[in-house]
Amino acid sequence: MKKNGSLSVLLKGLLKENPVFVLILGTCPTLATTTNVTGAFGMGIAALAVLVCSNILISLLRKVIPDNVRIPCYIVVIAGFVTIVQMIVQAFLPGLYEMLGVYLPLITVNCIILGRAEMFAGKNNVGKSALDGIGMGLGFTLALVVMATIREVLGNASFAGIEIGFLQNYKIEFLVKAPGGLLVYGCLIALVYVITRGKAPLKKSFSCAGCPNAANCQTGTCEAPAETVAETPAANSEEGGAQ
Amino acid sequence: MKKSIFSTLALVSICAVMAILLALTNYFTAPIIKKNQDAAADAALLEVMPNGTGFEKMDTGSYTLPKTITEVYKAANGGYVFKLETAGYAPHFVIMCGVNADGTVSGAKCISSEETKGEEKTYGEKLAGKTIDDVLAVDTVSGTTMTTAAYKNAVKDALNAAIILGGGSVDIRTPEEILADNLTQALPAGEGQFTRLFIVEVIEGIDAVYTADNGAGSVYVMGEEFIGVPTGATSENETVAAAQAVLAASEVEKIDLTAYEGLPKRLKSASKTTTGNYILEVEGAGFGIMNTEEYIHSSGEYILVRVSITPEGKIIDTLTVYQAESENYGAACAKEEFYGQFDGKTEENYREIDAISGATYTTNGYLKAIENAFKAVKILKGGAEE
Repeated sequence: MKKNGSLSVLLKGLLKENPVFVLILGTCPTLATTTNVTGAFGMGIAALAVLVCSNILISLLRKVIPDNVRIPCYIVVIAGFVTIVQMIVQAFLPGLYEMLGVYLPLITVNCIILGRAEMFAGKNNVGKSALDGIGMGLGFTLALVVMATIREVLGNASFAGIEIGFLQNYKIEFLVKAPGGLLVYGCLIALVYVITRGKAPLKKSFSCAGCPNAANCQTGTCEAPAETVAETPAANSEEGGAQ
Repeated sequence: MKKSIFSTLALVSICAVMAILLALTNYFTAPIIKKNQDAAADAALLEVMPNGTGFEKMDTGSYTLPKTITEVYKAANGGYVFKLETAGYAPHFVIMCGVNADGTVSGAKCISSEETKGEEKTYGEKLAGKTIDDVLAVDTVSGTTMTTAAYKNAVKDALNAAIILGGGSVDIRTPEEILADNLTQALPAGEGQFTRLFIVEVIEGIDAVYTADNGAGSVYVMGEEFIGVPTGATSENETVAAAQAVLAASEVEKIDLTAYEGLPKRLKSASKTTTGNYILEVEGAGFGIMNTEEYIHSSGEYILVRVSITPEGKIIDTLTVYQAESENYGAACAKEEFYGQFDGKTEENYREIDAISGATYTTNGYLKAIENAFKAVKILKGGAEE
């Protein structure tokens, strides 16, 4: 796989750097919206839309946004797009709007989006940032749908609201509840770890240095020295501080 | 300095750009969202009033409506749709009820509930077309009496409210409120705070006596009549005056229970009036854990019943002194409409009372207490004769 290829930027979000199963970001909406496939898919797509829009805009503005106020700027952009998506969903998909409830506006504080803005869009060009947004968004959607499928089919004996006849008497209702969600989540993280063994990003990338706030808190207690986070050639070309 | 000005400007301009984008989106989506919401709200209203149009939410602040009514919508055809919240087996029992301009129920539907049997999902169909006069005559469903009775009463509230909104007047007071109003009317000096007097003497023609908490006087109830008598005065009404004399002459002496053998274990205390009547306090088992042959409340609580009985074995008065039964169920044993049923009953017919709906164990425990009271009177009487 070419390290800097557009395709790899797009595909890494699906499995190798899946935001949910590998980077362990956005766990709250993951647990909350995966009780049914429809909601999970809607949540994934909504997050994807916000992710792509905010990545593009932040990438366009990356030269203009002053370093010291970049987090507030990112948040304004993200919150703006979330509200736009929220209004559109409410207008055209009221059913989905009701189903997602508070988790839709909460996309604002979804770590995946701020994380990608900080780790990728703020340091890469528009094209790559858009692809990164699509890849990460699809990875998020895929993760949610996989998890929701397991939980809905086994827990509620239905798929996207359609009842599965022969499973009706064998519902594992525990899986639809919060503890069941954590259980499924844990199993899937383990499974993805086994599949991507050796290919998954080093621990460092989602340790302190991979934190969106790492640049602000290089106080010496941080395990990664400042240089790994700052502008190394690799960071400019692909993913700042991640690899 | 230059740097921070630039940072501020950058942040402000990003905010401005996002605000413009938001305003644009809102401009296009706001009308659609409004339309969706109206359609969704109307859909719920149309279910209970299929021929209704142009529903408009009413501000009912200037009307006194039954407390169950939470929202009112007026339809263009002169009908109303009410959203009601009542309590059946469990609280938060929400019903939508449409009332046509001619005062008939156009439809009723339960929109959310925590009832147990699910009868509320279809019961509304039985109420469609009913009027204020025949709605309560609809049969409740056996096994879900509390749910269906609450449903009927809520629909009746809606019908009453429609009359009130149409300019009519209806008595929507609860029995407690009617009693309080009557008492205050009879004795304004009582300032609305009255306590029911526990009667220990036979007073002919008087149903109940209430004393003002502030000591202003008493109110004697004779059927529909409420006669207020200030403290120190004697009523012009002969029956009331006679009762006053009897009550004034009454003296109570405590009985030493240890002097008797074989008294029911649950007899807590006993007293005797100079006229020979007994006043007993007996515990009754409540609802909860099965303990040998009786149910006791899960926290170990009993119902404490005070009862006055003539030497001939006729109940003069009954009062629930203490109970810890479940709210909405057995707790009804503390209401006068339940214990008032025992007045004038004897050992032969005291079981001929209406049980508390949904609280068989509480009712049985109560009856057991009364049974023990009769037993105790016999023994106490026997002891006195010796």
